[in-house]
Amino acid sequence: MPYREKSNLLALAAMLVAYVPYFVVAAMAPVQTVVTPNLLLLTLFAAVSVVRLLILGVGYLWFRIRTPDDVREPADERDRAITRRSTTVAYYVLMAGTLVAAAIMPVWFAGWTIVNAALFAIVLAEIVRCLVAAVSYRRGWNG
Amino acid sequence: MADGAITNQIRTLRFLAGEMSQAELGQKIGVTRQTIAAIEAGKYSPTLEAAFRIAEVFGKPLDEVFQWVRG
Repeated sequence: MPYREKSNLLALAAMLVAYVPYFVVAAMAPVQTVVTPNLLLLTLFAAVSVVRLLILGVGYLWFRIRTPDDVREPADERDRAITRRSTTVAYYVLMAGTLVAAAIMPVWFAGWTIVNAALFAIVLAEIVRCLVAAVSYRRGWNG
Repeated sequence: MADGAITNQIRTLRFLAGEMSQAELGQKIGVTRQTIAAIEAGKYSPTLEAAFRIAEVFGKPLDEVFQWVRG
């Protein structure tokens, strides 16, 4: 499996492991209508960020030990084409999410709900980017 | 866009070039071994520049290495 395919799958796993619990807790937390320090979510967000960094750190270290030559290899034209494709798709997801969080949600929601919606748009865009890249490596990319 | 697919003779040409490895070919044209494997399997269409480089490595014209097959 190409190094960049593995690193995309690792990034995807790290995002899912870290952010699925965060958004489950955020969805069940009592609604706050003003942006005041929400200790539960702030603590959880800090923990989630640490967990994600740990997964990525251990994963990349594992790749570096197991396949040092692959890690050193620079990205080639296929890697760049797949990156362009996945980033473009993720960009539209991010734009749609940002529009919903910044322009539509404030009509009905406020405070942390909007903050979490914006964060969700970022996380979703990143998940889509990793997924599109992983599928492009696996199933092929003739674009 | 017309239906069709790009096929190639890279596997055969590597064999005829003394069983040149994918990594060796990749190194000669500046791509990874996995990209050569993807090109051979029809999972990736290389850029025109890479296609010309591959043809040059085998000393063949481009249309002897890559073919367009109408679907």
